[in-house]
Amino acid sequence: MFELICNILLWLGLLYAYFFNVLEAPIPDRTARNPYTLKPDVWPKAIIILLLVCIAVNIINIIRKNRNNPDFTFSSMFSIKVRMWLGIALVVAASFVLEPLGYMATCFLVLFLYGLLLGQTHVVRLFIFAVIVTFLLYVVFSVLLSVNLPRGTIPELRNFSLWVEGLVASVKSAIM
Amino acid sequence: MTTWELFTNGFSVLLDPYTFLMVVFAIVVGTIFGALPGVSATMAVALGLPFTYSMQPIPAIVFLVAVYCSSITGGSITAILFKIPGVPSSAPTTFDGYPMAQRGEAGKALGIALGSSAIGGLVSALAMLTLSPQLTQAALSFSPSDIFAITFMGLSILTCLDSKNILRTLISGLLGLLLACVGQDPMYAVQRLTFGSGELIAGLEMIPVLIGIFAVTEVLKQTAKKREALQSDDTNASVNTKMPTWREWWGIKWLLARCSVIGTIIGILPGAGATIASFLCYSTETKLSKHPEKFGTGIIDGVAASETANNAATGGAMVPLLSLGIPGGNAAAVMMSALVLKGVQLGPLLLVNQPQYLSATFASMVVTNILMVFVAIGIAKVFAQILAVPYSYLGPIIIMLAIIGSYATNMSIADVKIMAIAGVIGLVISACHFNSAALILGLVLGVICEGNFSRAYTISRANLMNMFARPVAGTLMVVSIVLLLWPVVSQLFRKKEA
Repeated sequence: MFELICNILLWLGLLYAYFFNVLEAPIPDRTARNPYTLKPDVWPKAIIILLLVCIAVNIINIIRKNRNNPDFTFSSMFSIKVRMWLGIALVVAASFVLEPLGYMATCFLVLFLYGLLLGQTHVVRLFIFAVIVTFLLYVVFSVLLSVNLPRGTIPELRNFSLWVEGLVASVKSAIM
Repeated sequence: MTTWELFTNGFSVLLDPYTFLMVVFAIVVGTIFGALPGVSATMAVALGLPFTYSMQPIPAIVFLVAVYCSSITGGSITAILFKIPGVPSSAPTTFDGYPMAQRGEAGKALGIALGSSAIGGLVSALAMLTLSPQLTQAALSFSPSDIFAITFMGLSILTCLDSKNILRTLISGLLGLLLACVGQDPMYAVQRLTFGSGELIAGLEMIPVLIGIFAVTEVLKQTAKKREALQSDDTNASVNTKMPTWREWWGIKWLLARCSVIGTIIGILPGAGATIASFLCYSTETKLSKHPEKFGTGIIDGVAASETANNAATGGAMVPLLSLGIPGGNAAAVMMSALVLKGVQLGPLLLVNQPQYLSATFASMVVTNILMVFVAIGIAKVFAQILAVPYSYLGPIIIMLAIIGSYATNMSIADVKIMAIAGVIGLVISACHFNSAALILGLVLGVICEGNFSRAYTISRANLMNMFARPVAGTLMVVSIVLLLWPVVSQLFRKKEA
């Protein structure tokens, strides 16, 4: 059932995109008037038409195959594990909080919470692991590879990131 | 200067202990950079640039070439072990490399990846030294319709990737082609399919999508496993570092030869590069194989095809760069700026005025590709031990590497969001029995396919027959259409017979 609903949603989404989103800016006049150019909407529209046909056939196939299947019900859709939903929520949330919380807090929280989600029961060990890996990844990407990891927009967390950066910089200058 | 003189001059340069040490250092740095997600070959060369500021031209060239070649190889390490392609050209390596690692054959997969990378690199280096002018001339005579036909041939694999699910694989490939249309169109920069989002105007960045669909989806799938299953994985985790046998190498000798040649040619074509080469070779080998159904299940042929091709493309990209001053890809463009900075006159006069630079590049590529096997095996063995880490620690690290890797590509939070969404989409694709490999194939080949089709259409004055009248384009299109339809037609015949 999940597959059928996804296919129907995809079909409807593509139909919407075909009419409203293929072109989001006017075609330049010279291009529109030139009969020998491929207009910017032709290629995506051709792909969408092919997709609409293929997905329609796929929907028919799914319905045909499951006509006599007693498990082909709406309730079977919700058999997806709660832990997977939590995992999805955590990854999506991490991508959204990276900017306000910054690298340090996001990395620590992801390592700690995802570790718990994956069944790690030693909380203290997990806490220490999260702190160490956060710092190690910071050193590899920010110090060695000069990637400007986000510091966060929340003042306290930003100040903490700046404090760590200052600490690392002073250690670096002492070594050099 | 004769080819033999170029050959001997190049190696005499590397006899200098300082230059030799620079090569070894560059291989270590390049392999580690390549293995880190989000650090592409272009970024690795760019990160290597500051090291060369104080160097003489020849050690600088040698250093950058070594970083470039080894970063492409390094990408295969994380692709095989964690399903995170370190560089986009290692994405097809995940199809067979990761299942091998899951079966406990990580050592064999890594050995094949590193060995075939070296073979691909060596063949392309030889081609660069001996056939540079001829190969460049041949590549420059390729018209947009020829390049479109080549990429279309790569897409013809779609019906073959999963013979039991042809329709779903086709839908996945078409979805990939549609995703490649997001952003500005390649000819007139008109915005398409951005749904009003400013962050999508530049199109979908390849690395976040690859990382999301491969790495994040895999961790999410593991998350759904029962706790007991995960914990039993934790305790029984063991890594087999057994390397491939000579017999296995001998069994893929023709595959290595084919992919080296195809990879070198694709590398020479402007705008194509290592990613297209690895996908095209993977698809070609699937078509040519006696057992195409085994591709994607974890066989050495899949790993060898992708890795031979992407390293062969590095040498190929150097051909137009050195003999015409035209960079074949992004990494070659960064190399070009560094070489010009060092006073190298790239172009037809290089062989006349500064032959020592051509020979140094060649020698560096040869030595790098040989040394890289030993250095990278050492690095890969260290990485392979990470597989023994309990999944409750490894899973969160992979998620964090995916986040940082996506961010590091353009220092963009939007790319992290794209990665997260791609991870969820990967999960839906898997639940709906679509094919993520086909989707990525469509996404990778989509941009080059549309751009060249548009150009060819305009050049042929909107006449499709004229467009494919050229012998290369015409032949390739006929072959592609036959390859595309053959699995469908043969299934229909089989059904009728039954």
